[in-house]
Amino acid sequence: MERPKVFIEGAGIVWRRQRALWLVYFVGLFLAYLGSYGLTSRVAPALEHSAQTAPRLYHAFDVSALAELAETPERPFVQTNTNYYFFPLLNALFMLFVTGGILANYERNTRLSTGEFFGACGYHFWRFFRLLLYLTIVLIPLYLLTESVDPISGRVDDASISPFTSVYFEIGAWAVILILAMIVRIWFDMAQVIAVAEDERRMHSALGQSARLLGRNFFSLVWLFLRIALIGGIAFGLGAYLWAIVLRPESVWKAIILGQLMVLTLIATRLWQRASEAAWYGRYKAAMEASTPPAPVPAPVPAMAVLN
Amino acid sequence: MRRFGVAWLWGGVAGAALLSFGMAHAGTAPHGTRIATAAARAGTTSRGTAVSTAAAPASSVRTGERTTQDSNAATKGSAGMAMKAADGAGQPLSTRVVAYQIDAKLDAEKHTIAASETLTYKNLTGQPQQTLPFHLYLNAFQPQSTLMTEVRLSGTRGTGAGSGWDRKHYGSITVTKLEVDGAGDLTDKMQFVQPDDKNADDHTVMQVTLPKPVAPGESVTFRMKFDDVLPEVLERTGYKHDFVMVGQWFPKVGVWWKGAWNCHQFHATTEFFADFGTFDVKLTVPQNEVTGAGGDLVATQNNSDETKTLTYHSEDVHDFSWTASPTYTDVEDSWTGSAGVVKIHVLMSPGNMASAPRYIKVLKGTLQFYDEWIGPYPYDRITVVDPPHGGMDAGGMEYPTLITAGTTWYMPEGALIPEVVVEHEFGHQYWYGMVATNEFEEAWLDEGINSYVEVKAMDALYGKNTSFFNFPFAQLGEAGEQRVSYLDEPDYDPLTRFAWKFANDQSYGGVTYGKTATVLLTLEKVIGEKKMMQALREYFLHYRFQHPTGTDFLKTIEDVSGQDLSWYFNQAVSGTNILDYEIADAHSDAVKWYDLNSKDANFRTYVTVHRKGDFVAPVEVLVKFEDGSSATEHWDGKDRWMRYEYVKPTEMASAEIDPGDGMLLDRDLFNNSYVEKPDTRATQKLRNLWTFAAQCLSQLYSWLT
Repeated sequence: MERPKVFIEGAGIVWRRQRALWLVYFVGLFLAYLGSYGLTSRVAPALEHSAQTAPRLYHAFDVSALAELAETPERPFVQTNTNYYFFPLLNALFMLFVTGGILANYERNTRLSTGEFFGACGYHFWRFFRLLLYLTIVLIPLYLLTESVDPISGRVDDASISPFTSVYFEIGAWAVILILAMIVRIWFDMAQVIAVAEDERRMHSALGQSARLLGRNFFSLVWLFLRIALIGGIAFGLGAYLWAIVLRPESVWKAIILGQLMVLTLIATRLWQRASEAAWYGRYKAAMEASTPPAPVPAPVPAMAVLN
Repeated sequence: MRRFGVAWLWGGVAGAALLSFGMAHAGTAPHGTRIATAAARAGTTSRGTAVSTAAAPASSVRTGERTTQDSNAATKGSAGMAMKAADGAGQPLSTRVVAYQIDAKLDAEKHTIAASETLTYKNLTGQPQQTLPFHLYLNAFQPQSTLMTEVRLSGTRGTGAGSGWDRKHYGSITVTKLEVDGAGDLTDKMQFVQPDDKNADDHTVMQVTLPKPVAPGESVTFRMKFDDVLPEVLERTGYKHDFVMVGQWFPKVGVWWKGAWNCHQFHATTEFFADFGTFDVKLTVPQNEVTGAGGDLVATQNNSDETKTLTYHSEDVHDFSWTASPTYTDVEDSWTGSAGVVKIHVLMSPGNMASAPRYIKVLKGTLQFYDEWIGPYPYDRITVVDPPHGGMDAGGMEYPTLITAGTTWYMPEGALIPEVVVEHEFGHQYWYGMVATNEFEEAWLDEGINSYVEVKAMDALYGKNTSFFNFPFAQLGEAGEQRVSYLDEPDYDPLTRFAWKFANDQSYGGVTYGKTATVLLTLEKVIGEKKMMQALREYFLHYRFQHPTGTDFLKTIEDVSGQDLSWYFNQAVSGTNILDYEIADAHSDAVKWYDLNSKDANFRTYVTVHRKGDFVAPVEVLVKFEDGSSATEHWDGKDRWMRYEYVKPTEMASAEIDPGDGMLLDRDLFNNSYVEKPDTRATQKLRNLWTFAAQCLSQLYSWLT
């Protein structure tokens, strides 16, 4: 029977190993709720007993209402502390921690006990932290490239008669930057997969191996990553359309459910990419082992020849 | 169009059918319906069909006095306002103090203009005049100028504070020769002066002293040669690629006003002030240019050097601007109002053609609105200029019979920004164009009154809560937008501050536009909406083609309303008082609260109203009870707080200050009411949004891991 495509296999892995998905989702939800709690608790007293609230924010969404809340002296809408950004960062740290366990789970494609899962998380955490530092270094030139778009666009604009030349340039430049960012992400994803699959302790070695892997299998890996991202993006976009255009302003609970489904889509898409990468590496490794001839075994030496 | 707008439009059409007869003969129809009628008519004129308004007697326009006919027109509503641009004898609409003849040649590659100007100035000041000042606005585009220094401090339209200097933004106007008939060459008698800030490096005002004064009633003729260097578009004027917008480009004489010359330097937050007159302008441009100007094109001549000379003529205006680009598409249309046919030219830039129908629709709707509510548009043309991508600094500006708009190639239908811009800039044809107030010293009179009428017109055309943004997921009405801009910095500056003396650009914008509009919207609650619109109509009809002051405007409101409104104007116009009333406390308590076994079913209800701000205004308080009964109180608002007490066999349900739309000038409308039963639905909605956004942010950060 023909094996399923890798990205289908990856989807199957995510489905069978759902605990990872729900863990990431519920921790993220909890931290996001904490992050938004401060804002909500400040705004609630102003809104819940006011006759202005229902017509302006429930039966419709009057943008000026939020602006007004931000401009009154009490400023209930303005978040003066950093909670709103701190908790998402905390979530990112959590993701850094659990990625090792998730990849181990996907790589072995067997159920891990809670102890095994978190053991794998802890086992790989420091490696992935070092990979994060490497990523920061690699992102510096990408950042500089980003910063150069505007000045170059200005020069293109100065030199051009058409006002749209610089627009086309910027669109092209951002497309290139996004593609480069994607390639960098795949590179580091595969480095993490190698670190788990090969128990590679040296992250610069893992990066080297993944770079060579990516170089030799560029289109295969990029297309694997991209198509999952496109599927996830389309699903997310559909959700956004339903929320913004179809749902009535009063549909609070439907919006909550739809929003959470959209978040699940985001998380599932990312985990699908990880699972597919793990599956891809597993197949690649098996293929390499199958094509490598066995090491030659020397012919037995007669005992008398040895004695003589 | 969203379902809200469609429902409104059909309602307007039905209302128009029922009320057109009443509109013709009485001014008593409810405002909402009359506005809907205007809007419905706007819809029917979108194909350029003539709008038939009720016949009305022609009325001559006189300056400086109110005629009986003017008064009748003001009280009758639109039916009495069918006016001709000039009476049958072709008498001027304005007192023509100036006559400009300009001959200019554009060098499209170098972005320069070589020109000569003949200015005939009629001395109607009543005094001999020997020293005359001139504006040289283009000299503001230099780093040492007052304008650039102020921009660096606090920013201005399109330019943030702290912005660096870019050489391509250099602009200048150099008068190379100045002769005066009967006085000879006075070129070296020109002096730069700085009446506002003594910045000797600012060359935006020049004065020349004549050998002999010009007697009252006599005229003097100046003949000048000047060269313009246009900046890359900045602060309304300049070039971008092959587009040029040429405004404030010629030496313009100051205004004799209130017994002295009024000729201010060009500041970051000032606009312009000039006398009415005539303009005869010849523009020589490359043959491939499509041009637009604030005048009638009376002749075109192709020249042998691949240029063409276009001759424009304009009367009863106080400025002349023009634009050129080889890539414009000229979209023509027309509209017919009570003063006749108005030719519409919309000069669209590449990539923005999708916005052309939007521009035309709102322009016609605004023409109709102004014709019915304020007064006739007397000119036979209006040109709308759509700046190209990258040239938006030239957008959102007004000149007599020419306005610049603003859009993008990706502007969604629900973002009514092109509409708002066109409505606003057209409104300036009335407030500034015809009622030519001093934009340096009383910016609120043109920007603020215009912003108020913008709210009324946009609400009529696009719906009250959706006249700025109209998306299924978010809405914003014009009134809300004006309020929000005012609330940004509500207590720094009064309306009456000179435009260049505001604390910063944000305060200037928030106060002259947003606060003035909100002040007038709130004034509607005091004197009634009908009186407010009537006052505006009277003000326009009486002061068009003149230079009225804020005092004139406020007095007109008081005269029409029949009320002494000094208590309101002193605080809202001349002061920086903040209006903020709140329901500080509202609750019900059992009368026999101490006796748990009491059978007494009565409750004592307390409602405490507190004046948080320093603006004193009378307020109405509506208290509703659980059994459906209610009580309405009127408080003069003078003391810091007031408590109302009721003993009833029912508990309180809600207490609200100025129920309904409320006093829009109130800084915080959320604290104007208290509802006993909490409504958590909006909080849940916001919590959901913020949590969702935080989750998405988490996923974005997680991409790094």
